[in-house]
Amino acid sequence: MDFLLNISPICTAFLTVVIPLLAFLYQAIVGKKDQSGLVGTLAIIFSFVLSLLTFLDVWNAMPLSSEITWFKIGNTTFTVGILLNNLSSLMLLLVSTIAVPVHIYSKSYMHGDAGIHRYWMYLSLFCFAMLGLVIMNNLLLMYVFWELVGFASYLLIGFWYTKDAAVQANKKAFLVNRIGDLGFLIGIAIVYSQFGTLNLVTLFGNDGLIANTSVENGLWISPHNSMDAIWLTVTGISFFLGAMAKSAQFPLHVWLPDAMEGPTSVSSLIHAATMVAAGVFLMSTLFPLFNDTVLLIIAIIGTTTATIAAYFALAQYDIKKILAFSTISQLGYMMVGIGIGTWDAAMFHLLTHAFFKCLLFLCAGAVIHEMAHLKAHSKQDFDPQDLRNMGGLRHYMPQTFILMTIASLALAGFPLTSGYLSKDSIIISAFEWASAKGPMFQIVPITLIIVSIMTAFYIGRLLFKAFFSELRIKSLLGSSVDLNESPKLMLWPMYFLGICCVFPLFSFNPISYHDAWVMDGLLVQYPYETNHTAHLVIPMILTVGALSVWVLAWRWYAQGQYPLHANSLANRISLNQGYLNIFNEKIIVNSVLNLSKLSYWIDRHIVDGFIHIFINFIQQIALLSHWLDKNIVDGLVNTFGKIALLLGNFARSTQNGKLQTYLYSVFLLVIVGLVYLLLR
Amino acid sequence: MITLTHFLVVSAFIFCIGLYAVLAKKNAIMILVGIELMINAAILNFVAFGKYDKINYGGQIFALFAIVLAAAAVAVGLAIILNVYRYYKTVNPDQIRELKD
Amino acid sequence: MPTLSLLIFLPLLATAIILALPSRFKDVYKYIALAITAVQLVLAGMAYFSFNPTSTGINTLAGYQLVEQLPWIRLDLGTIGKLEIDYLLGVDGISMPLLVLSTFVMLMAIGASWNMKKSLKGYFALLMLLNMAVIGIFCALDFFLFYLFYEVMLLPLYFLIGIWGGERREYAAMKFFIYTLFGSVFMLLVIVGLYFSVINPLTGAHTFSMIHMMNPDNYVAGSIFALDGYQEIFGISARLIGFIVLFFAFAIKVPIVPLHTWLPDAHVEAPTPVSIILAGILLKIGGYGIIRVCFSIFPDAAAQSNWWLGLIGVISILYGAFNALAQKDLKRLIAYSSVSHMGFVLLGLASFTAEGISGAMFQMISHGFLSAALFFLVGVIYDRVHDRYIPHFRGLATIMPKYTAYVAIAFFASLGLPGFSAFIAEAFVIIGTFNSASLGTGLPRWMAIAGSVGILMSAAYLLWTLQRMFFGQTRLKGGDSWNTALVDLTGREQLILFPTLALALILGICPFIVFDQMNASVINLVAFIQQYN
Repeated sequence: MDFLLNISPICTAFLTVVIPLLAFLYQAIVGKKDQSGLVGTLAIIFSFVLSLLTFLDVWNAMPLSSEITWFKIGNTTFTVGILLNNLSSLMLLLVSTIAVPVHIYSKSYMHGDAGIHRYWMYLSLFCFAMLGLVIMNNLLLMYVFWELVGFASYLLIGFWYTKDAAVQANKKAFLVNRIGDLGFLIGIAIVYSQFGTLNLVTLFGNDGLIANTSVENGLWISPHNSMDAIWLTVTGISFFLGAMAKSAQFPLHVWLPDAMEGPTSVSSLIHAATMVAAGVFLMSTLFPLFNDTVLLIIAIIGTTTATIAAYFALAQYDIKKILAFSTISQLGYMMVGIGIGTWDAAMFHLLTHAFFKCLLFLCAGAVIHEMAHLKAHSKQDFDPQDLRNMGGLRHYMPQTFILMTIASLALAGFPLTSGYLSKDSIIISAFEWASAKGPMFQIVPITLIIVSIMTAFYIGRLLFKAFFSELRIKSLLGSSVDLNESPKLMLWPMYFLGICCVFPLFSFNPISYHDAWVMDGLLVQYPYETNHTAHLVIPMILTVGALSVWVLAWRWYAQGQYPLHANSLANRISLNQGYLNIFNEKIIVNSVLNLSKLSYWIDRHIVDGFIHIFINFIQQIALLSHWLDKNIVDGLVNTFGKIALLLGNFARSTQNGKLQTYLYSVFLLVIVGLVYLLLR
Repeated sequence: MITLTHFLVVSAFIFCIGLYAVLAKKNAIMILVGIELMINAAILNFVAFGKYDKINYGGQIFALFAIVLAAAAVAVGLAIILNVYRYYKTVNPDQIRELKD
Repeated sequence: MPTLSLLIFLPLLATAIILALPSRFKDVYKYIALAITAVQLVLAGMAYFSFNPTSTGINTLAGYQLVEQLPWIRLDLGTIGKLEIDYLLGVDGISMPLLVLSTFVMLMAIGASWNMKKSLKGYFALLMLLNMAVIGIFCALDFFLFYLFYEVMLLPLYFLIGIWGGERREYAAMKFFIYTLFGSVFMLLVIVGLYFSVINPLTGAHTFSMIHMMNPDNYVAGSIFALDGYQEIFGISARLIGFIVLFFAFAIKVPIVPLHTWLPDAHVEAPTPVSIILAGILLKIGGYGIIRVCFSIFPDAAAQSNWWLGLIGVISILYGAFNALAQKDLKRLIAYSSVSHMGFVLLGLASFTAEGISGAMFQMISHGFLSAALFFLVGVIYDRVHDRYIPHFRGLATIMPKYTAYVAIAFFASLGLPGFSAFIAEAFVIIGTFNSASLGTGLPRWMAIAGSVGILMSAAYLLWTLQRMFFGQTRLKGGDSWNTALVDLTGREQLILFPTLALALILGICPFIVFDQMNASVINLVAFIQQYN
């Protein structure tokens, strides 16, 4: 193993990224002939090993950076390069670690699908793009991979392309992400304009350009250039717009619930664990660029997202939609973490969330897989994703049930789980931040506590509705219920993720997040004091709150003592996602379409009409001049012409084709000539 | 005594007869005959004027040339007429009006 | 070896051979055209890779490469002076990539004409004549020669659309002809004005050489376009008017809103190969003309009016995109998307930053490949079922998987997915435009932001089309007969499409292939204009 450790981390990181690309190319070339996905899976396992080596080398060591010239425009050189520091190597490891179980799980989950070769191809492409995104050392390349992950996600959401909902969803996902991408692009333009470089090391390194930038007299001054101070805020908002779209922040979250149309394994990897977290990663990378205004906006948007998404999750019936809203809500937490300046906490939560949310999705996938199986066997028509059709599943799928419970506990933030550590770190920091800022800011931590309790409630609801009481569609099926535990190939990855949901992997002290190695490694200096009471009280509130809502959920859903009206207004708003989709469809999309129709009408009738009027006008002039020409100018000419015609006709009469007449006229002419000569 | 004038008068008569034939006859052969007459009128003139050239006998020699050429011309002319006849089935010049505009 | 002359006159040779061969050899015509065009591509490619990237081009003849100069017309006009027209050819970093692009697109067009049936002799002869003209335009450095080629180009195009086109071909051909002629007639006036204003310092004669026109010292004092003596027409600076006239002449070609309406009609009516040439080469002549003629000969007027150029660019981007969204005819949609994408060219050029101009140049090249590929793809289904209305198709992915894959790649490439050339182009146009305010070249920053909305819109109309036509359950207007008619791509079609899209990918990943060759020229151009700012 020695020689492996001697390879430079840059090299291993490079290989980590490139190997999935090779797998992608292989699958693209081979096409249908290889449906096993073995190459893709092996590639990601290799990537995982290499990323682990990279991580061990880089973590808590000097950041490394290496680059080569890409191209030159004007006097600026653009480079391709890799930046390895704690943040990027951590993300690299995370992505490949999550990707491995998902690949293995997919082998079983997607088995027998007609387009499976495309599945492996897209999955490898996604891994390539996502791994590339985290280690790129300049913003332009980050943008490249940023869009590529969006593209891979587009392909995977629309994997079942004959399904209308799926192709609607992938279009929506790409377009909403494009809105964010514009923000990113404008951010890049501003940074380039202000600093003359897009290199992360030059920008954010110690004594880099950002560190030497100041705002004075309403001017944002960097060593390279200066512009109005307002542009500093605009930069932050632009980049945040990018992160909002990718990390599904309100109001750009609308694509994520729809994105659940893709295969569940894809949802777990892309739309729960890795890609959607890219926005948080971006915010962490660019953190020094944000001023207080932007940070406050981020915190507000994050809180709003967390609240609204948790609320929407409460009444969903589709098991994947609940998890999708839960993801959005948790991403909101992470954004709050950025907004209050503790991006290490945000990253920590990103890390823990990736594992337990991935596990939740895989468990949900297992359930859906079996339910779909049941549907196919029984030849009955029911929605295999609908919670109302489930119930009592713990009898049929005990291992899945246990794993799901572990993940749910982590999500709800019960002690001894990873979620407890990371969620507390954000909420406690938010409380400390609010204390330093002023009483109005207390809204943020209080909201977060309420949301955390809501989170516990909806995940409890899911768990109890799906796994407890009796199977609700039993009457439909008759006597035989053909429900089994998932195959081993699906269970092993789930077990692996289950282990990653508990505390020892992150911190040996199960109750204090300060001891977590992630937090130590990222080492952010907080601008406010530590509040020891909060450290004691908040976890207690959270635990007690979560426990009590689980008891409530148990009574409501497992024992069937549901006290509320299912059709109440609050429930309906939650179920319909606040009617946001309808609003978007009716107001935004329709107005854009109408605008486009209007502009086409203008093009046809006004622009082209103007041209036609112009041409008409010219035609009229032409007609007039034609009349003049015919009657006046031509009249004169015609008179001459007619005279000439008369003369011509006269002369023509001599031309009768009789040779003798011609000779006769020659003879006459000679006579005339002779007479002339005689008489002269 | 027969003087030059007599020759010329006879020649003029022959020429006029030829001219008339060319202008008025409705048969191409007759027109050709007219042309021959006109040529022969000219030859007669050559011979008549030949008396002024007693050294080289240019007049006689020219006359001989002209006779030969006339003969050749007649051959060609007859050939043409033959072809015209084949093509148009007539040798009446009034009915051959392709030159008309 | 006179490479440029060879490039220009090889197609003329092909025209001659095709005209000379009797029509029973009509199957040979396409091979002749193919062979000649392939030779051209090889020649242009060799010239491209032996091109010295340090040469600065633009305003000094020494900065050009492959220069060929022959005295062409010399007339002593007595008191007016001497007439001097040269056969002057040369390429710099601006024209070199476009030259290669043209030969490549020509080859594609020949490939797309493979199954053409109607009067082949005339068709290929005209196509080769057109080929000669466009190559000539990119090489000519003498304005007279340039104008000659510019006008010669119109003739074959008019007939190609007017004879081989669709239902309303006469209308479209006429519209195209009138539009372009309208621009070029006024251009002629400016050329004459320039001729009387500029003298060749070496011979003292009036000259048509563009290089001499770019040097302010060559202007006769007091002449109409002199820089120092401030001449006015209707109270506006004569140089500004000259610039505007030339700009509109080329802008019609680009095309800009509101002078774009010839484009959708011409595209819709033209046969596929002509659409490919129109989109792939003709539109670039507009952009090239703006750089080579408008910016280089009237840099002062350009620096003065770039705000307006930027505005026109932004309007074209957004207007074209909105119109594309409203289309039901696939070909018309792509035509409008061309308007939108070419708007980026104008916006980038107007920024007068190295990033913006490089981006604009790159956009021209990238759009050249991609729009050609897109029109070719439209031609594929039109060939099969003679219909291209988007609502008439659904779920094509199931019956034509390869075709769908190519369409998807082409769509994503042209909506600016990173990894493809359009991304580099559009990103740098936006970055350059944004940077313009910092460098003081006068474009406000909101133009960059407004322009970037065009990127979003292009994703919207292309993805919507993809979803409507290709995904979902298969449902065709023509029912079963269409189902059998719609066979997947043939080998020939793949042979044409694959290199095109591969090139878009290669340029997207290795943009230095283009940027390296043109960087020196772009820097020189920026510096050249900047001195008037």
